[in-house]
This record gives sequence, structure tokens and C-alpha cells, in this order.
Amino acid sequence: MSDEQLVSRIKEIIVETLALEDVEPASIETDAPLFGEGLGLDSIDALELALAFHKEFGVRTQENDENNREYYSSVASLAKFITDKQAEATSSTS
Amino acid sequence: MRAGRLAAVLLTVLGYLLLAPLGQVVLAALCWLWRGDPRRRAHRFHAITARAYRFMHWWLSKSRIIEFDWRRTAGQLPSGPCVVVANHPTLVDVTAISASLGGAISIVKPGVYHRVMIKPLLVGLGHVEGPGSDPIRAGKVVDDIVERLAWGIPVLIFPEGTRSPPGGLMPFGRVAFEAACRAEVPLVCLGVTCDPVYLSKQVPPLRPPHPMPKLQIDLIAVDNPSPAEPSKALRTRTEMRYQAWLSKVAEAPRGS
Repeated sequence: MSDEQLVSRIKEIIVETLALEDVEPASIETDAPLFGEGLGLDSIDALELALAFHKEFGVRTQENDENNREYYSSVASLAKFITDKQAEATSSTS
Repeated sequence: MRAGRLAAVLLTVLGYLLLAPLGQVVLAALCWLWRGDPRRRAHRFHAITARAYRFMHWWLSKSRIIEFDWRRTAGQLPSGPCVVVANHPTLVDVTAISASLGGAISIVKPGVYHRVMIKPLLVGLGHVEGPGSDPIRAGKVVDDIVERLAWGIPVLIFPEGTRSPPGGLMPFGRVAFEAACRAEVPLVCLGVTCDPVYLSKQVPPLRPPHPMPKLQIDLIAVDNPSPAEPSKALRTRTEMRYQAWLSKVAEAPRGS
């Protein structure tokens, strides 16, 4: 999956998982904050997204990881997090 | 009058600094003695701390630092496990609500939760460690709250996560509402006012206002969320209730 496709799929997952009826995936800015400002998501939304990303990409978000806030700060940071985790998983199995 | 009130504040702070370490040691010892059953221990500790908070508010009223009648509020509140939410204008909201309820479990910031001197007491009381800056920890927090509710003790959560701005509200987080929906317990909405404002972010302890501040807690609503209700909808409904209540408070004549 290319970076662009990954970013698009993340946006679709956000809208589908959180049932954001009035939001088009393409309208979510890649670098805009997801929590507080921007989309205004909250911690329960983060949990639901973590589950959805695990289902879709096989990527697990560890509780108490001090970088979680950064990983989930924007679509761009999520894409990087998922790419890095998938690369880690691939290099550990090879 | 103001100088007298400041003297009372200083005396109270001194008394707290002298007595609190002793109280913490005693409660830590009881925590160890009663370690076998966390649920029973929490009930016992809350019975002790509720009495302590009632005494504290009696003292604060008698010394004219801040007036609060916990009996007036206690009569309005439902009994049994529930999630209690409130706005948070002052530093003594927690103690006032706990005194009225006869004890309540709270969410404690991680930095405070892990302080060596008070952690045993917090654990003994069944207080829940908050998520801090990690959004993923919210799941554990909700699970812990649901477990505490099964103990039969109310859980008090300030959904703004910080003290309220004067006459206003910060956006509500969703943990309280998610917990109430999952545990299928009542959501009790309390409105806290302090007139004149004291012990807020803007008015610190050593600047007591005049006349004597009056702390009041009103029951705004009791909501019984249906099992299928999304917590987002419950949060939105609650925020609207608080906005309506704040408008009424702002319009009411002072002293009413």
C-alpha cells in the first residue's frame, strides 16, 4: 500500500469507526490535530481507533507507551506509526 | 473581617500541615491491616474520610472561610452506585461532594497517584489512576471505574478534567459517560457554585474574598442511560443541561 493509499484508508477508518456522519474522509486534513481542536476527538475515540487499526493493519497500540499521544496526534503521525510498526513486524519475522 | 478570614485560612493550613502526615500514617497502617478485601476496605475508608470531610467543612463554615451545608445536599442525592459528574469551580468541590455522598471514589492524576506518601491511602480508598496524557489508557480507566461501581460506591468525575472557568465550562471528556453506560448506573449531575468566587484558579487560598463565600451544590438531573445509548449522546445531553443550568445561575439575583 502506498503512503497516499494508507493516509486515505486511515481517514476512511476514522469516519467509519467513529460514525462521523457529517464528515467526508477526504475533508480531514492530513496534518491537522485529531484531538481537542481539529476533528475534536476524545480518549474513547482513540481507543476505538486503536482497535480498528489493529483489525485493519495488525498494528497494536501499547497502553502506557509514552509516545501514544504523538502517534495519535494527526493522520500523518498515525500513518508513520502504522508504517513503522509494520516494518518492525516484517523485520522481526524475517 | 478580611484580615480575620485570612488569619483563619493560615491557621487552617497550619493545622492541616501538622495533622495530615499523622492521618496519612494512621490510614496507611489501616490500609495494610485491611488489605485482604479491597472492596470492604474502600467502604470503611470512605466512611472515615466522609466524616473527616464533614468535620472539615464544619470548621470552614464556623471559621467563616467558606460556608457549606453538606446536609442540604445529602438530602437530594440518590443512594447506591452511580457516576456523579459536576462542574469544578473550587478546590473544595471534591471534599464537599464526598461529604454529601458519604464517600466517593475519584479519578486521580497519575503524577499525584504515585506520590509515595499518599498512594497507600488512594489505593485503600479505591481511587482510580487517571489516563494522564496517554489517550489509550482511557480504556483501563473506564474498566477500573466500572469495577469500583460494582463495589457499590459512587464515582465522582469532573468531566472537564480541570477547574471550571468562572461562570463557564470546559468541553467534557467522555470517560464518565462511557462508564455510566457500560456499568448501567445512574448519572447524577451536580451543579457547584461558589459566591463570591474563592479557591478557583483566579482566586487563590490566601486571598479570601468578602463577604464570606457560600458554596452550594444543586442536583441538576439524574439520568438513567439505556444500555444501548452511545456515551457521546449522553455527554451531549449533559453538556446542554449544564449550559441551561449556568444560564439560570447567571440570571438569578445574588444571594438567592
